[in-house]
Amino acid sequence: MSQNLPHAGNILRTSFNNSSTLLAWHNSTSPAVVIQGLLPPGTVADTPGQYGLANLTTAMLMTGTQKHDFQALHEKIESLGASIHVQSGKLMTSFALQCLAEDLPTILDLLTEILSQPAFPEKHFARIQSQILTTLAIRAQDTAAMADQAFDRLLYQTHPFAHPSIGYAQDMMALTLDDLRAFHSDYYTPQNMIIAASGGLAPEELTKIVENTLGAWHKTAPQKQPDLPDFFPPTKSQREHITMEDKSQTDLIIGVLGPKTQGDDFQAASIANNILGQFGMMGRVGESVREKAGLAYYVQSALGAGLGPTPWQVVAGVNPSNLDKAIALIKEELHKFICMPVTTEELEDSRAQAIGRLPLALESNTGITRSLLSMERYQLGLNHLRDLPAKLAAITAQDILTVAQRYWNLDTLIISSAGKEIA
Amino acid sequence: MQNTLHKSTLENGLQIYLKEIHTAPIVSLWLWYDIGARNEVPGKTGLSHWVEHMQFKGTANMTGQEMDHAIARVGGYWNAFTSQDWTTYLETLPANHLELALKIEADRMQNSLFDPDDVEMERTVILSEREGAENDPLFLLGEATEALAFQTHPYRNEVLGFQADIESLTRDDLYGHYKNYYQPQNARLCLAGDFDTPTVLKMIEDYFGAIPSHPVKKNIPTPEGRITQTHHIELEGPGDAHFAEIVYRSPAANTNDFFAYTILDSLLAGPSSLNMFGSGGISNRTSRLYKALVENEIVAGVFAGINATIDPGSYSFTLICRPDRASEDVIKRFDEQIEDIRNGNIKKAELERAVKQAKALFVYGADNITNQGFWLGYAPSFADYNWFLQYIERLQAVTPEQVIAIAQKYFSPDERVVGFYNPIKKD
Repeated sequence: MSQNLPHAGNILRTSFNNSSTLLAWHNSTSPAVVIQGLLPPGTVADTPGQYGLANLTTAMLMTGTQKHDFQALHEKIESLGASIHVQSGKLMTSFALQCLAEDLPTILDLLTEILSQPAFPEKHFARIQSQILTTLAIRAQDTAAMADQAFDRLLYQTHPFAHPSIGYAQDMMALTLDDLRAFHSDYYTPQNMIIAASGGLAPEELTKIVENTLGAWHKTAPQKQPDLPDFFPPTKSQREHITMEDKSQTDLIIGVLGPKTQGDDFQAASIANNILGQFGMMGRVGESVREKAGLAYYVQSALGAGLGPTPWQVVAGVNPSNLDKAIALIKEELHKFICMPVTTEELEDSRAQAIGRLPLALESNTGITRSLLSMERYQLGLNHLRDLPAKLAAITAQDILTVAQRYWNLDTLIISSAGKEIA
Repeated sequence: MQNTLHKSTLENGLQIYLKEIHTAPIVSLWLWYDIGARNEVPGKTGLSHWVEHMQFKGTANMTGQEMDHAIARVGGYWNAFTSQDWTTYLETLPANHLELALKIEADRMQNSLFDPDDVEMERTVILSEREGAENDPLFLLGEATEALAFQTHPYRNEVLGFQADIESLTRDDLYGHYKNYYQPQNARLCLAGDFDTPTVLKMIEDYFGAIPSHPVKKNIPTPEGRITQTHHIELEGPGDAHFAEIVYRSPAANTNDFFAYTILDSLLAGPSSLNMFGSGGISNRTSRLYKALVENEIVAGVFAGINATIDPGSYSFTLICRPDRASEDVIKRFDEQIEDIRNGNIKKAELERAVKQAKALFVYGADNITNQGFWLGYAPSFADYNWFLQYIERLQAVTPEQVIAIAQKYFSPDERVVGFYNPIKKD
């Protein structure tokens, strides 16, 4: 049995002239290729009155380029059984493609066109706006999405992250194609673009293809997207319930500001999070709220990752009549979590799981590219996967208690929920 | 890619499918039981799904938590799924821990406790699961249209079961269902991954060989043919989004019709993937319905997906409607596209493209060992493993004439269910 994790000796890292960087890995058993990447801008570049501009711009990228109209573009992609996706994130725009290895030059050419030479055709504009309006209408009936939106509003307050990436209907409908063209011209750039690739091509060959496509995109003097303002989380608890009648289930989020992904606390927090609401059938909160009390179909904790301020949350789906009981039980678990060290068994279990699951996370090209992207984005180093087991093994119960106490201040909990009216 | 397939049957009837894949040091185990909502009777809907939940509650040898923690500790994951036709349990874990998964599955094939307290606790959880699904208008619309697409066949019922049935099922109902269906002769054990076949066969014999099999009393429903009339249904609910479902009969997977139907599905609404894990997707922007309905701003989105089922099933188009379009207009424009194909307007190039897309999805699915394990047991649930191996070949053999004939046979405007979900008008 072979242990073939990506590491500095088998990842080919190349920086191109346009300041983009590629990490390529050879999956010799796969006849396909997956590429994922990140480039500026994110939705933080949206300004008041224009929330949704970044999202609408990425949606319009897929409606045609200066060389291919909508039909020609999608005919080429779909006829090869390939896929290209572009999506706005808070700080970066992400892209992904999947295709058979022999079709990579064609598909990468198209992706480069989509990102660098969009046409923003008038004839598709109203349709795309209408589709986003429909998505907003569907979201407005999704209890999980509404609880999440309320949570962000409470946690981030005046910070740009308080706004949903999709924006608001009124702002989005007031945008013009000129707004989109200006946004693209100002902010889309290959500078600091990160590209990760895995599949059935030798890294050198893959690198050559990327160099001739995304690596050959040059842009002069793009604007730098606005720096994130300093963020100060709320100093007292916040609670909001979104009333949505005729909903059978209520979605609940309890959370705080979490550690920085690049910070010293992150690995200990990831083990702590695993114990709190991930391990097995969703850790301590799963055992208490779902298994013992039978109050929820799902309950788990989630540690956010990203370059900006990210939350640490417990999320649950409960019957409306059980909402208060579930909140009380979760708070009880959080109280224990910050008062007592985790047991030796819990610590060993979670450390062993984090180490043991590494090969599973790399089961597919998609899993591999996701790992490569994280290595570059968070400056983890090319030997991150090889070094990680030792780092995880060194985490102690005191480290867990320290991060639990540092972040889970029960006096500043943010609690949001969405569902039937609370009695 | 190494594709050594081993197939055998233990003396107690347990079927074994093994496929060595040495690309990563992991193994995926799937244990399939030929029992699903299809075999349930009125008043007892949701039994198969609830039994699946109870299989995570433990045996006299290991508590549910001990099993759960043992899998998690080695970095693995486990899960289970219940469908209309089957129930399946999976563990994907580092290859050197395969024996743990074999031990757990052999144990819970025969020794699950169904503790009455656990049963009651899980009743609340399953009601919560159903409540979560009911939050989605498309679940409500789907449940209503399926109930009209079949007169008596259990495919008309949601796998979760009706709320009244979930509230009234007893521990004895669940345990009886378990003891009847969870037997070696009603099961398939499938493994894909980094192992040595002779070594694993010995382990399987050690863990499963002594489990006795008894006759299975199985309710086999009578397959239903055509939808004998057009049914219309309109639901009202909260929200601002409008949806439509148009449901036709689909052929059983183990028929020649299924392959031409698959091509037709691809032409109309984009390629469907039958993979459960890791295939990614191909968009449908060049499909006929997208071009005609979405690009022309008749609807905001259109989707469909064919299912491989034992009996003739249902095939649904889901339309995300625009509030400014009348439902009659939507159906008229939809029907024009169906009629175009029924009238014989198909080009060979369209078929070739559909096959290329299916091939690509096939390759993407093979990228993932868990998905390979899935196929070992999934295809035999409605046909045999050769169905999977010959899938692309059979799609390639489909002719335009066959696709036209399938559209004429299955897509009659007089044999379907048309459902709308409309938001309640606000004052």
